[in-house]
Amino acid sequence: MKVKEIMTKDVTSILPDTNAKEALDLLEKMQISGLPVIDDKGRLVGMFTEKEVLATILPSYIEKVGRFIYEENPKTVKQKMANLRNIKVKDIMRKEVVTVDEDVALCEVARTMLTQKVRRIPVLDKEKRMVGIVARTDVVRAYRREAE
Amino acid sequence: MKNKLISKFIFLFSLIILVGFISQKIGLNIQQIIAISIFSASVFATLLFWDFRVAIAFIGIGVLLITKTVDLENMIKFASLEVILFLVGMMVLVGLIKEVGFFAWLVTLILRIRNLTSKKFVFAISILSAILACCVDEVTSIIFMAAAILEICDYFEIEPTPFIIISILSTNIGSTGTVLGNPIGILIATKSGLTFEDFIFKAFPLMFICLLTTIFLVMFWYKKAMKKLDEKIKELGANEILIKLISVPPERQLKLGLGIFGLTLLFISLHHRLELLWNLEANTLLLSIPLISAGSVMIWKWKKARDYIEKDVDWWTLLFFLLLFAKAGTLKYTGATDVFAKKILTLVKHSPGMLIGTILWMSAIGSSILDNVVLVAAFIPIVQSFKDLGFVLQPLWWALLFGGCMGGNITLVGSTANIVALGILEKEKNIRMTFFRWFWIGLTVGLITTAIVWIALLVLPMYH
Repeated sequence: MKVKEIMTKDVTSILPDTNAKEALDLLEKMQISGLPVIDDKGRLVGMFTEKEVLATILPSYIEKVGRFIYEENPKTVKQKMANLRNIKVKDIMRKEVVTVDEDVALCEVARTMLTQKVRRIPVLDKEKRMVGIVARTDVVRAYRREAE
Repeated sequence: MKNKLISKFIFLFSLIILVGFISQKIGLNIQQIIAISIFSASVFATLLFWDFRVAIAFIGIGVLLITKTVDLENMIKFASLEVILFLVGMMVLVGLIKEVGFFAWLVTLILRIRNLTSKKFVFAISILSAILACCVDEVTSIIFMAAAILEICDYFEIEPTPFIIISILSTNIGSTGTVLGNPIGILIATKSGLTFEDFIFKAFPLMFICLLTTIFLVMFWYKKAMKKLDEKIKELGANEILIKLISVPPERQLKLGLGIFGLTLLFISLHHRLELLWNLEANTLLLSIPLISAGSVMIWKWKKARDYIEKDVDWWTLLFFLLLFAKAGTLKYTGATDVFAKKILTLVKHSPGMLIGTILWMSAIGSSILDNVVLVAAFIPIVQSFKDLGFVLQPLWWALLFGGCMGGNITLVGSTANIVALGILEKEKNIRMTFFRWFWIGLTVGLITTAIVWIALLVLPMYH
């Protein structure tokens, strides 16, 4: 079984110039945690996820300082949250995205998900345009169908 | 992109050839030319090819072995595994105390200052930056200090840049105070035979004088920023809200972590006396105490032991150091450093005073543009060569230590602490430090503190 047989083809995406606040609203509206970012030629240029939003609003040193407990939200976090409307998606999106080719076998997608620790992977055609997205649920469901 | 990379490597290769050519002109033999060319590749890599420095070091060691410039046995000996293991042990310990909240607890001490004024604030951040750098290392220290300063400046709605600069300057100065403050401290201690006590009685007081001078200087330099802070303190009240903002409850883990770290520091500070008492080889305890402490931590937190080794130890940098030390040792092995030592002596007309000044200022100016570990690694075999030429080495070691650390203040790329803290400032506040905004205060502090050290090394008999 190939990935193109199990992927979701109708994928909502956003443009790199969308402002981050709008993109975050879209995530909330769709109740999902991430969206692919596609340029005007349909090529995948990054992923915009809640993780990137958190990394943007929290102090950059938070990971390095060990236990640094904020009992109240610092002013800067609130300011940075409000400032999301002035930031473009392309400025904070994750640029290195794990992708698979549409002709890749199911087993390879499963392996990629396990080794790269990702839950969903954008699927690209030969021209590197995004043609769908495959989630961990799709893979498990496909294995189950095969077993039955 | 690919072409740019190829041209960069052609440029690097041309520089190495040029060094080789110059070395031949000054009369070095073929082994010495290879050793100096390969070492210069590491120098250029830290200056121009930061991301490739480990790769270049790997290839360099390979070339040294294949060309029989050094043999395997000596290469391993020169790699100074004892220094690397010491740093690994300390990194694991720092990982633990970071995790249990030690640094954050320390930072809250600043936030708790009663009746805060700008003077108290500048004094506190300077002293704490220096002492923290003494106890751990300059990079860990500056991350915490920068975090604390940014929080405080946010609260009082003032520009953090002057206070971040003050903290960086103090951190670099403070890193000379003990063996632990900077990798060059332990490197010099292991090669010179200087003990932790020597550092405490000779380096620490001199560091403190330089620090106090710097505090008075920055108070004058940044009086406008301090005035603004005083106004804001009056307007917004004292720092009660800040105290609530960041806190670390003194839990059992913090106390235990603090206990282990404190005991480690105590034993490290007594290493020389204990070595004499137990008839151990010099520096045996200095190097093994961090390993015993790190081992104990990994037993205590055995589930996280792998994380301490894999995440808290900066293997990338340590591997670079290991290979760099091997290359520097090869310089001595081939006799190249003896040639340089003789040339320097001719230059200073065999005057010990001028030699101290030359080593001090050369290492200060060199480390303002170059990683101080690279510079000191190159200088150590040169300094060792002076022993055979009849010179007392102790003042030269201090000159190398102070020059290597004080020089880091001169430019904004002078030390890792500068780069890390200014990176945080840019990310958090979108403030990009310009070369000259740093340079004038950095140069002033760098020149004055190096001059103080110079006078002390020349005049005070305790350094001879």
